[in-house]
Amino acid sequence: MSGMNSPGKSVLDRLRLNGPLAEKVLTSFIRDAVENSGTEGVVVGLSGGVDSSLSAALAVRALGPEKVHGYLLPYRTSSPESEADARLVAEHLGMPHRVIDISPMIDAYFQTAIADEKDVDSGRRGNKMARERMTILFDQAKRLNALVLGTSNKTEILLGYSTVFGDNASSLNPLGDLYKHQVWQLSRHLELPEQVVGKAPSADLWPGQTDEGELGFSYVLADEILSLLFDQGLSPEEVVERGYDERVVKRIVRLEQQFRFKRRLMLIARLSGSAINLDQEIPRD
Amino acid sequence: MAEPRSTFTLGLAQIDSRLGDPEANLEKHLAWIERAREQGVDLLVFPELSLTGYRLLHLTARVAMKADAPALRRLAEAAGPMRVIAGFVEASERGVLHNSCVLVGGESSGAPFFLHRKLYLPTYGLFQEERFFRPGKRLDFAPLPWCRAGLLICEDLWHPELARRLAAAGAKLLLVTSAAPGRIGASDAPANHENWEILTRATSLLDTCWVVYCNRVGWEEGSFYAGGSHIVSPGGDVLDRAPFLDEHLLVAEIDLREADRVRWRLPLLEDERDDIEGPA
Repeated sequence: MSGMNSPGKSVLDRLRLNGPLAEKVLTSFIRDAVENSGTEGVVVGLSGGVDSSLSAALAVRALGPEKVHGYLLPYRTSSPESEADARLVAEHLGMPHRVIDISPMIDAYFQTAIADEKDVDSGRRGNKMARERMTILFDQAKRLNALVLGTSNKTEILLGYSTVFGDNASSLNPLGDLYKHQVWQLSRHLELPEQVVGKAPSADLWPGQTDEGELGFSYVLADEILSLLFDQGLSPEEVVERGYDERVVKRIVRLEQQFRFKRRLMLIARLSGSAINLDQEIPRD
Repeated sequence: MAEPRSTFTLGLAQIDSRLGDPEANLEKHLAWIERAREQGVDLLVFPELSLTGYRLLHLTARVAMKADAPALRRLAEAAGPMRVIAGFVEASERGVLHNSCVLVGGESSGAPFFLHRKLYLPTYGLFQEERFFRPGKRLDFAPLPWCRAGLLICEDLWHPELARRLAAAGAKLLLVTSAAPGRIGASDAPANHENWEILTRATSLLDTCWVVYCNRVGWEEGSFYAGGSHIVSPGGDVLDRAPFLDEHLLVAEIDLREADRVRWRLPLLEDERDDIEGPA
């Protein structure tokens, strides 16, 4: 289906990356950010999934394994396979890693602090866990004088498939301009364990959950549609004309619009003529 | 009076600049001038906005300087007999800001003796130059002792009539400074670099002159500059190229007679007509 009517290259062809060049660019990004911030390395949460594994692998190549601190942050219902995969990746990369069980903190909130609320859904629980993990990573980063390395890819950022101030709250993110398809490509270039690269992506919010099951479409399909919309500037109607399922295209367009706020955090009410980020767009570098 | 030399040693200083830190960048310029001197460089070219960094946004006004600012005088003193081209935010007498390149050195009194103000300010995609700069209004020869030369900044080369006007008026050398944000794709070379090399090579072929491209490296605000500075001979061949992404001093001998030799074979500039009518 992909690119049947497109001139020349198929959509996935256009997303092909040169592995060595991508590696060189992204490792220099991490090195530059660490050197310019005066920090001594990065901390990264390892979920056992491909995104965090790729971020960690890039950081290890950029900084050396001793400067990349992995954290496995399971909740008691998290899948043991995820934790085993995270360990496998940390050992494969030769980086220091540590397990911190977030169950006491999560349970203290849901089972004690707000025990009177009977209708807490899995979305709220998942968000709370994502934020708990980020607070731990930032605290450990402070201890180690390190930056928090992000692991969100372009596909999930555009779809809003992330938790505000949770997984999207990193200090630097080498994957944020890579579609999931490109994350897989680059992970294979870096020879990450196939057990991790090849498995179905999951936020592990509840047993058996998969991202693609929850989203209702595959990442490859989402990548093609997002790339046609955002990289190539096609209208949703033109994407459908190319043979893509109209319901999926509409859903992707809706998700992208609905969750734009997640991409521009800290909305400040402008009162003066020198409001931060509007009148005073000062680079952070 | 001695004949001007027909060859000179060119250096391209493919550096990373610190965003919004002219003092640190000036020190780097001075160090690279010394490095270039050791290699016998006669003309050293730094990238666009090399003294200030590129993506300044609202820092632009804070790092602006007059064309006779102490930093530029120090650059001229350090250059001595060498010619040095560097980029900076120019605060003009009229009270507006320009994305400018200065040519200093050659034992001039210390004051900059030539300025080029960027003529085309990209304001699309991630570029916001018209928010912070005003465009220049003049195209002149850069006064070098070896030949007539033109100085263009980045986007200026994407409007090919400028290079054409310079070459048609006698320039044999076009110096292009740049801070071109990098992109990558399936190829070994950064995707944006491939476009640049199409452009520099096409310019050298069509205008039968040397084209020299000095791009920067490093990261600003999550965007990288790919380097790949290069020198294209008047026949359109890439004579030498700096590596991608890393700082590098590229040094090469430029033989200006090569432009004459190509023009004798390929008189495109002489054949140019201005009497063709239409369309409509």
